[in-house]
Amino acid sequence: MDTLTHIINGFAVCLQPINLWYTFVGVFLGTIVGVLPGIGPSATIALLIPVTFGMNPTSALIMMAGVFYGTKYGGSTTAILIRTPGEAASVMTTLDGYEMARKGRAGAALAVSAIGSFIAGTIGVVALTIFALPLASMALKFGPAEYFTLMLFAMTAVASLTGKSPAKGLLATLLGLMISTIGIDLQSGQPRYTMGIAEFQDGVGFVVVVVGMFAVSEVLRGLVDIQRGTGAKLLPISGKLWLTREEWKRSVGPIWRGGVIGFIIGVLPGAGGTIASILSYTTEKRLSKHPEEFGHGAIEGVAGPEAANNADTAGALVPLLTLGVPGGGSTAVLLGAFIMYGIQPGPLLFQNRPDLVWGLVDSMYIGNVMLLILNLPLIGLFVKLLLIPIGILYPLIVSIAAIGAYGINGSVLDLYLILTFGVLGYIFDKVDIPVAPLVLSLVLGGMMEQSFRQAMTISGGNPKIFFNSAITMTLVVMSVISISLPFVLPRLKAMLKSEEE
Amino acid sequence: MTADRIILGVTLVLAALYFWATQQIPSLEIGDPLGPKAFPRLLGIGLLLTAALLAGEMWKARHEKPAPAEPGSMVHYLVVGGVAVWTWLYFYSFEPLGFIIATVLYLLGLTGYFNRGKWIANVSTAILFPVFTYLMFTKGLGVSLARGVLPF
Repeated sequence: MDTLTHIINGFAVCLQPINLWYTFVGVFLGTIVGVLPGIGPSATIALLIPVTFGMNPTSALIMMAGVFYGTKYGGSTTAILIRTPGEAASVMTTLDGYEMARKGRAGAALAVSAIGSFIAGTIGVVALTIFALPLASMALKFGPAEYFTLMLFAMTAVASLTGKSPAKGLLATLLGLMISTIGIDLQSGQPRYTMGIAEFQDGVGFVVVVVGMFAVSEVLRGLVDIQRGTGAKLLPISGKLWLTREEWKRSVGPIWRGGVIGFIIGVLPGAGGTIASILSYTTEKRLSKHPEEFGHGAIEGVAGPEAANNADTAGALVPLLTLGVPGGGSTAVLLGAFIMYGIQPGPLLFQNRPDLVWGLVDSMYIGNVMLLILNLPLIGLFVKLLLIPIGILYPLIVSIAAIGAYGINGSVLDLYLILTFGVLGYIFDKVDIPVAPLVLSLVLGGMMEQSFRQAMTISGGNPKIFFNSAITMTLVVMSVISISLPFVLPRLKAMLKSEEE
Repeated sequence: MTADRIILGVTLVLAALYFWATQQIPSLEIGDPLGPKAFPRLLGIGLLLTAALLAGEMWKARHEKPAPAEPGSMVHYLVVGGVAVWTWLYFYSFEPLGFIIATVLYLLGLTGYFNRGKWIANVSTAILFPVFTYLMFTKGLGVSLARGVLPF
């Protein structure tokens, strides 16, 4: 009964006019950022941190979460109308969404992705509401050794699942961890790797890394595309912004299945929205009676993936809120924002600040309703954004990034850092080193080292503590599996094949 | 393939540098049995393991034909290099000139090149955007931006 009271009190928090306003600002910004190529949720949330300083943390976090799930709605618009995913997770929508638009059914494609996003987004939030508390109470038993191995598992899963090569994912993870060791060591007071630069004593802020790697590098990529003349054409919104009875009947199943797939994938570390939408797409194609229509404007191919990548955002908040350990790049940035406000997500947060947790979760129900309105009747306004010439848009993004980076400490060094990480991010993209593992491990690095040292202090320096309990053992084994699977799996397949022959 | 070889080389150099820099951290091992060096050493070992994995992946892929080079790949370097230098100049002048003037110049340069010929749109964006954002952030949101040579 206690839980129900908390959930209802959460609505009292998020229905306060000020929080309703910030929910709206968040999802509005999210839709814009989703529609616009070149800037995504991670960079936007990082850029909002200096602006929201001094705000009530609940309102600020409600707004940032709004950006996080709002971008998924906007991302599909760009995918459908110019065959460019506004967000990485909308990549599957480009396949059938753009084909529908070419056949004059852009209205239906936009409608099904907005409605599908709404239904699945709400399924996700309901599941988040149900599963959060049991998981949080389980996590209360976690000691430093459990936390260390949990973070290890999150990192190895992200390293081996994002990108093409697990070794490069691991490299990115270690780079992030190494950057996190720069600065004064809190336990001994010793400066580490500061290279004599005073600003580095506080460490390298994750905001500059995120803004550099997600915004500046994206701009560099975009400008190269302009130079090459590989831009796509914007298709008009054609047809009614609604579904025919037939289209609706074809979409209901994919939306429900997508919602469930998305939520489960979201809870697990590593996979994320892109994999959720790919999984939903292949599932629908397999279940369909007309698999040959996929890729030529099948509405199931829009409904399923869009539902999946929206439910994924709610799922991704489960480990972040209940364990305090995010399972991907964007949620890592959200964790960074929490920490900047002096709030540590995790099981204790549910006991100490139920108003914040449930205010945030409940605001997502309202945010999803707002997003449905923004992305269905008002979508025409956002599409106008796509008329901004990208030759103007991209330079503006660099200026906005500069404001955000400079705004934190008023230091020019931070500006040079976003440029450095921007160029680095561009190179990483060219040589297939994924960026998400780096951001995740950078945000988690400090916590990981702390729990490692605490665990070792408890055990008197004996590393056996990481293999002592059932929980740590399971997590260590899962970490090893997640790293070795990409190596073992192809060999296993080959062995099975040769045995069959 | 060449890119992978460079990554492997850089990883090894980085591991060596990181081990060396870890050695330089002064440590007084009082009350903290592990000290500030233990975790970094673990990371250094992790980096060496990663290098081994990288080498393994390269060995596995040794028979694969390298992907044909993208046409116009020189364009990458020129555009990225040019934009990076221009952005560096922007940041270099950020404080001396102030946010507004530096941003106007930066935007004029980039939009003039990448949105060629549409100079009315370019000039009006390059002037209105910095002025508007400056006022919004400094007066409205309380974020301080470099004032530079302008009196307000």
